[in-house]
Amino acid sequence: MQKRAAAKAARFAFFLALTSLLSACVVRGPFIPANLAPGARPSVELDATPFFPQKKYQCGPAALASVLAASDVVTTPDALVPVVYIPARKGSLQVEMQAAPRKFGRLSYLLSPNMDSILAEINAGRPVLVLHNYGFPMMPRWHYAVVIGYDSARDRFILRSGTKQRDEWRVRTFMVAWHQAHRWAMVVLRPGEIPVIADARLYLEAAADFEHGATPEDALLAFDAAVKRWPTEAVAWIGRGTAQYRAGNLSAAAFDYAAAVRIDGSNAGARNNLAQTLLEQGCPRHAREQLMSIDVGKLQSPLLEAVNDTRQQVDAAVAQTADDNPACAIPVSGS
Amino acid sequence: MRLSPWRKTSIAILSVAILNMGLAGAAQAAIVDTSALVTTSREADLGTVRAQLDRAEVRAKFEDMGVDATAVERRVASLNDRELHKLAVDMQNAPAGGDAVWIIGAVFIVLIILELTGVIDIFKKT
Repeated sequence: MQKRAAAKAARFAFFLALTSLLSACVVRGPFIPANLAPGARPSVELDATPFFPQKKYQCGPAALASVLAASDVVTTPDALVPVVYIPARKGSLQVEMQAAPRKFGRLSYLLSPNMDSILAEINAGRPVLVLHNYGFPMMPRWHYAVVIGYDSARDRFILRSGTKQRDEWRVRTFMVAWHQAHRWAMVVLRPGEIPVIADARLYLEAAADFEHGATPEDALLAFDAAVKRWPTEAVAWIGRGTAQYRAGNLSAAAFDYAAAVRIDGSNAGARNNLAQTLLEQGCPRHAREQLMSIDVGKLQSPLLEAVNDTRQQVDAAVAQTADDNPACAIPVSGS
Repeated sequence: MRLSPWRKTSIAILSVAILNMGLAGAAQAAIVDTSALVTTSREADLGTVRAQLDRAEVRAKFEDMGVDATAVERRVASLNDRELHKLAVDMQNAPAGGDAVWIIGAVFIVLIILELTGVIDIFKKT
C-alpha cells in the first residue's frame, strides 16, 4: 500500500516537473520581435543574395562566395576553394574565412554574439555568414551558412545553406546550432561601411588588417567612415592620416595625425607619423618638436625602430637646412 | 625544449632573414602601420621570431593537409601575425565548416529538446 502511494507521489512529482518545464518554454518567445531594433522592418528577405550550391564538404567556399558576391565581388566557390578549403580537414577554418575578404578589397567584421546584431545587419541589407554546429561539443558537425532574412511574425530565419537556396529555420533551432558554434557571425563590408552594431576597437582592428593590402583610396574610405562614426578615437584619425599620406596628400595627412595627437597626446604612433609627414613637407623643426614629446622609454618594437629612424632623418634635415618652410603653420601643437 | 629538424632549419634560415629585414626596413619611410597601433585589445607584441616560426609551421601544416602547393604561399601571405598564430596553435582541431549532413541529427534533436525544456538556456545574452 505504502509502495503504491510512493509511486503515485513520484508520478505526481514527475508530472509537476514536466509541466513546469514545458510552461517555462511556453513563456519565452517569440524571439525576433524582442531583438529587433525600433523602426526595423518586421520581415526582410535579401533575395538578391547570390546562391551557390555547395559541393561535398565545401560549404565554406560556397557561403563565402555568396556574401562576397552580395557585396559586388565577382567570384565563385570554385575560385575560393584554393583560398579557404583544407582537404584534410574536409572544411574551412574561421580564421581563413575572416581573412579572405581582404583579398577582394573588402573588410570582414565579426559581429557581437547576439541575435540583435544579426537582425540589424539583415535590416541594413547585408547578409550574414554564420557558423553552425549540428553536433555535440564532443562530436561537432560544423557548417557555414548565410542568413539572408528574417520573419518576425513567424519567428523564422531564412538562410542560404548547403544545397538549399532557401532554407527556413525556426529561431530556436537556429540559435541552438549557432550557440553550439560559439555564435560566430561575420559580415563582409565594402570600404566605408560599418556594421549597425559595431565596436570601435574591433572595427579599427579590421580596418587596420584591411589597410595592408588595400589601395590608399579604399583605406581612406574605411577610416574616413571610422572618423565620422567615432570622432574621439585617435586610431581612426591615424588610419585616415596614413591613407592620405599613402595617397600623397601630405597636408591632409598632417591634419589627421595632428587631430589624433590632440585626442591622445601620449600616442607615439600619431606623433611619429606626424613628424615624418612634417619632415617631408620641409618642416623638420616642427617634426622634431613632435618627436621630443614621445616617451621613448615606453616604446616597443616596431614603434621604437620607427621613431629612432624618423629621429635620425629629422636630425639630418635640421642640420642641412637653415630654417623650416615658411608655410609650416599647420595645427601641430597637440597635447 | 626539443626542436624538430624543420624547426631548427627554419630558425637558422630566419635568423638570416631577420638580419636582412633590418637592412631592407631602414630604407623605408618611417610611417607606422595602423595595425601596430591597435594593440590594446590584441595580445602583446608577438615578436618577429615567433611570427616567423608560426608562418613556417602553418606553411608545413597546409602542405600536410593537402592544400595545393601553388596556393600555400598565397594563403600564408594573406594572414596577419595574430591569425598565423591561431592557425599554428590549433589548425588540427579548430572548427572546420564542411557539410550540412545531419549525421548525428539525433544528438542535435536532444539539444533542442533540452533547450525547449529550459534545461539549457541559449537565449540569455552573452
